[in-house]
Amino acid sequence: MSSIELKNLRFCYPGADEDTLSDLNLQIANGEAHALLGASGAGKTTLLNLLSGLLVPTAGQVLFDGRDVSELPGRERAVAQVFQFPVLYEAMSVAENLAFPLRNRGLDAEAISARVAYVSDELELGDRLARKATSLSLFEKQLVAVGKALMRPDVSLVLLDEPLTAVEPRIKWRLRQTLRKVQADLGVTMIYVTHDQTEALTFADRVSVLTADGIVQTGSPREVYQSPAQEFVGHFVGSPGMNFIPANVLQTVPGDRAGFRPEWASIDPGGQLAGSVGRVSLLGTRGGVAEGLVTVFTEHGEVNVRGPVEVQEGDAVGIRVDRYVAFANELRIAEGELA
Amino acid sequence: MSYKPQNNRAWLGVLPVLLIVAFSAVVPLMTVINYSVQDILDFNTRFFVGFEWYVQTLNDERFIEAFGRQLAFSFTVLALEIPLGIAVARGIPKNSRLTPLILIVLALPLLIPWNVVGTIWQIFARSDIGLLGVAINAMGISYNYTSEPLHAWLTLVAMDVWHWTSLVALLAFAGLTAIPQPYYQAAELDGASSWQVLRYVELPRLRGVLIIAVLLRLMDSFMIYTEPFVLTGGGPGNTTTFLSQYLATMAVGQFDLGPAAAFSVIYFLFILLFCWLFYQSVVKRDEETP
Repeated sequence: MSSIELKNLRFCYPGADEDTLSDLNLQIANGEAHALLGASGAGKTTLLNLLSGLLVPTAGQVLFDGRDVSELPGRERAVAQVFQFPVLYEAMSVAENLAFPLRNRGLDAEAISARVAYVSDELELGDRLARKATSLSLFEKQLVAVGKALMRPDVSLVLLDEPLTAVEPRIKWRLRQTLRKVQADLGVTMIYVTHDQTEALTFADRVSVLTADGIVQTGSPREVYQSPAQEFVGHFVGSPGMNFIPANVLQTVPGDRAGFRPEWASIDPGGQLAGSVGRVSLLGTRGGVAEGLVTVFTEHGEVNVRGPVEVQEGDAVGIRVDRYVAFANELRIAEGELA
Repeated sequence: MSYKPQNNRAWLGVLPVLLIVAFSAVVPLMTVINYSVQDILDFNTRFFVGFEWYVQTLNDERFIEAFGRQLAFSFTVLALEIPLGIAVARGIPKNSRLTPLILIVLALPLLIPWNVVGTIWQIFARSDIGLLGVAINAMGISYNYTSEPLHAWLTLVAMDVWHWTSLVALLAFAGLTAIPQPYYQAAELDGASSWQVLRYVELPRLRGVLIIAVLLRLMDSFMIYTEPFVLTGGGPGNTTTFLSQYLATMAVGQFDLGPAAAFSVIYFLFILLFCWLFYQSVVKRDEETP
């Protein structure tokens, strides 16, 4: 387990005109669960490959516990990776798969079997150890792949590359739960790469939002959600994302645009905005009142409001905004409550 | 209750295929089987002799010797070509500008007509004017494939390896390119050696392709005729006479149609048997693994 630091990291594929990653800086504490959230094309895979040692940075450094590992090949870095689909040695049993990384490092058989028992216990794979890897379900296979990544007691960093992609939605949350628990139990430094903001926000201690321009914000899931540093982050994180309207509509708000989350607004005839209800989608009830998402067509575009649903499509309504984040030139300049 | 439309006229659509198969495979095969149980003196004089030719063939010393040589040859070239082909395939860069060029060069031996391959090696290995033969002799090793049985064998094996390793290599390369990159990445992070990557990542995923390669090479090498015919003519003596060549001598040379037909049927059944045995052992092992 190590702290990870990226210093002015730059990477350009040979023959490419533009950098895929430029001047990237990031610090991840020892034992942190960090999520890298980015749309496709943001350079997530490139960054992963730089961390795992498959690629060597064009400039800058990758530091593990302050030690520069930029030039070290993957096998010497104590890094493990879980891929989008389960990558296992199909001819081996589950136990042999788990033991493989340790055996290659010359650990004695006793230490290996103790560790296999510990990790398989942690992942509740104990009764699967003797089975052939090919006979497992996709979910179990991916669990074994996670286990294999956690085998080395001295692992510096575990990389998870969209590990839930291949798993069916019904059990995604289960694997995420298991991952979170194991991460907390073992205190492993983990980097979880995903384009799914729900996964990122629910998994990580801290989230970094990666775009083609680099990392635009790093913070706790709450910070990233509540105070997006850029309009893009507000838009990208959350489902649906932030509503954006001209700042002057909310009068006291500075900057040129104001963003607010659907739950920061409510349907109120005395509100700052007016429009007609376009769509209503119910999500559940609370205290006998239907709750859901109301999409209102206003003169500033569609605005989503989350809360009790007491309107119908076509109704003329007002919207009151209680909380906002103000942006100038797409960057956050202020945030606050509205009386 | 089924509402599946019944229309037997569809069989008419299959008829052309049936006819083609009948005339290209079934009829010739039945003709051979028909010959194999008769003693044919001329077009109008023939006697039914039952299994006499079969018994005679199976007791024929020259047949048994040729059969032994055939087995030795097939297994030798298989044992060389399969590992060598895999090794060559592993050495081909996957995403290089050179890859297509390498593949074309590799495919060249496969594009040369078989009797030309024989001729090339016949000249190449000659100890008086051939580059290979002269070079070996110049190194102080006495080499002459026309008089030394061992040398003839080595030359034949070398020629077959030269001719067919490319096929195995191309098949294996196709199999290798189908292995997703993460498998290699994971093996690298697990600290796997090159040998372990071969053993645990590549071979399990090359299985299907290698089964095809072994079957193709087994059948082809068992039927080899042209190249040894051109290179050694079966000599020196009979030391490189394989089954097909002995068969040709019987059927075309001596015109012993009955015995030659019995020989053909036995030959055919043996090839079928080997392929079946090999395939069964592979399939059975698949079923045993849970």
